[in-house]
Amino acid sequence: MSLRKKLTLAVSTVAIAGLAGLAGCTSTAGDAGATAPLKKEDLVFVCSVINTTNPYFAANIEGCEVLGEKLGIPVEIVDAEGSSQVEISKIQAILAKGKKAVVFVNTVASSDAPVIVDSVKQAGGFVTIWWNKPDELNPADIGNNFVAFQKHSGIDSGKCTMNELGKAVGPDAGIIALPGVQDSTTSQTRVAGLKEELATNWPGIELLDTRYSNWDPQLAYQNSKDLIAKYGDQIKGIWTADDGMQLGAIEAVEKSPLKGKVKFVSDGLYPPTIEIMQKPDNPIVGETLHRGWAASAIGLYTAYLAATGQIDPTTLPNEKRNSIFKIGCTTPETLAEAVELDKDPSAWIDQMIAKGPWSTEPFTLDRGGPEKIS
Amino acid sequence: MSNTSTAFAPEPEAVEAAQTGKARTRKRWDIRRGGEVAALILLILVFSLLNRDTFPTLINLQAILDQASIPLIIGVGATLVILLGCIDLSVEGLMSACGVTFALLSANSRMTMDLGVWAVVVGVALGAAIGLANGLIHTLLKVPSFIVTLGMGFVGFGLASVIYGTDSLPLLDGGGIKSWPAQQFLNLPYSFWLAAVVVAVGALVGRYTRLGRFTYAIGNNEQIARSNGVPVRWYKTAVFTIAGACSGLAGVLTIMQLGSSPAQIGSGVLFLTIAAVVIGGTSLGGGKGGILRTAVGVLMLTVLNNGLLIAGVSVNIRSAVSGGILIVAIVAAAWPYRSRLRIMK
Repeated sequence: MSLRKKLTLAVSTVAIAGLAGLAGCTSTAGDAGATAPLKKEDLVFVCSVINTTNPYFAANIEGCEVLGEKLGIPVEIVDAEGSSQVEISKIQAILAKGKKAVVFVNTVASSDAPVIVDSVKQAGGFVTIWWNKPDELNPADIGNNFVAFQKHSGIDSGKCTMNELGKAVGPDAGIIALPGVQDSTTSQTRVAGLKEELATNWPGIELLDTRYSNWDPQLAYQNSKDLIAKYGDQIKGIWTADDGMQLGAIEAVEKSPLKGKVKFVSDGLYPPTIEIMQKPDNPIVGETLHRGWAASAIGLYTAYLAATGQIDPTTLPNEKRNSIFKIGCTTPETLAEAVELDKDPSAWIDQMIAKGPWSTEPFTLDRGGPEKIS
Repeated sequence: MSNTSTAFAPEPEAVEAAQTGKARTRKRWDIRRGGEVAALILLILVFSLLNRDTFPTLINLQAILDQASIPLIIGVGATLVILLGCIDLSVEGLMSACGVTFALLSANSRMTMDLGVWAVVVGVALGAAIGLANGLIHTLLKVPSFIVTLGMGFVGFGLASVIYGTDSLPLLDGGGIKSWPAQQFLNLPYSFWLAAVVVAVGALVGRYTRLGRFTYAIGNNEQIARSNGVPVRWYKTAVFTIAGACSGLAGVLTIMQLGSSPAQIGSGVLFLTIAAVVIGGTSLGGGKGGILRTAVGVLMLTVLNNGLLIAGVSVNIRSAVSGGILIVAIVAAAWPYRSRLRIMK
């Protein structure tokens, strides 16, 4: 046998042995569907975000880390790098380590949720999903290991921001809308809220055009430039589904003849947005108030309470397992509240631990889901 | 994938010079280039007729040229690499790494540092350095360019994330460098003029320098080029370095246009640029094509995108309509010459 063949054989044998070992580890990692109260020292917090550089996801991580520190539980961060496959494989790798996982996931795509929930259940962990899941996936149908699905209302977000834009541009203006990814439920519900508000309270405002900009500031910049070329000074306002795209749209307007003539609204109130809103020539007239660190802390704490037996998910009403939390409306005049909140997330998380995950202002439980687009 | 004709194959004179020693002996009507330019004009005419008030306007021309500037710059490097018979998939990762580096070295809301115009130099130099690494790994370790640049693209994204850190999104300070791309000369944005200069220099290098001629020669047949004493390794590395610098410059310009620096930029630019290179008529097999062809390809795709949006075509069918129009435009433009095309691969 040649040296090359021997090497190939050796490498193959090691690889097969490794895979077999891994399979063995995986199969023993979870006693399927365990729901007995777990000891705190056996737990690990897992905090899965779509990427680590977006301001919202960075805030998610902050919330997980602060809660972990307060409860004395180690935190593992999962950076999905924008990929469902990466997200699922990293979560499964952590589950395979053996410790019981209490998991918060901000899913890359709604279709990831069933796979993640199943993996966590098999490993005897507890999970709360935020923002995206298929409507037909109900925590109550899965069991205690899928503790809850939680989100802020996209429809309320769209209505809030459109109302502020309407007040700023007047009842007969033209506006354009830049939603996120076309099949994102978060984007879809925000657009539904925008259209509902237009139909109900601003029938004279014309939605000139809607261009999906995939949550991408660069694409939002390009789409805005094209739409400015098409509609010119008919555009009095620009609605975007998140602050990243809003930054792109603002820049396109700043570099056009419409500079200073267009008002903006969006969702997220990211730190750079706050900076812009604090300037004297601020063009942003409305934002929503919700916080990434609050979302992850609420989600992780809910799962923690279930893992440690402090709540029994089977006895919870629908609105506490399929939850829509309140979302605030912020204008330049009320910006101080958000700035104040951001100064000390730790204090808010202390309150949340004391009051429970559903009762801490301003992010209290509003109603049960799923959120339906009419 | 390449669609070239044996009878009217667009062999640049530079290639002939490199291979036969005859410098620019013939000036032959280049059927394919003529076809692509005609297709571009056709697209412009159709969209102008469909949207008389909004498409053929100065502000729309400015929007189109501003958008085309990034793929035009990347297209220069991408074309040279493809002429070698290689491919560079690291574009978006390099753009991100160089863009974030530039942003954090410029006056910004994080108040990290302000190197002024030197931030541009550092951004482009970083791109060139990563491009150099691409070239060296490809030539010295004999790893296919596809693999090296794919990996290096991820290295670029990783580098961007590390440099970016976890602080808030950096906004470039108002005025100054941020407003540069939108300033105008002859009513056209500086971003376009920058791209035009890069394209012109690239085209001149491709046509009149040894680097350009050897690039064609290596792409045509690397073995023969090497047998004839062409230092293949050196020229390949140089081309990858130039491509890296182009990606770096595109990253810097993107951040200037956006006025802020997300950790990842350039999404979709790689595909658009490679599509433009191929539509322009540069063979993916190497050795045939040119930078000016890519420029026409970029303009076609940008005009198409802009024209469909202005025409109000639904986003649900825009991609399909875009592809269909592109095929029809190229077929229509080349129709009179179809009988002269003997072999189409």
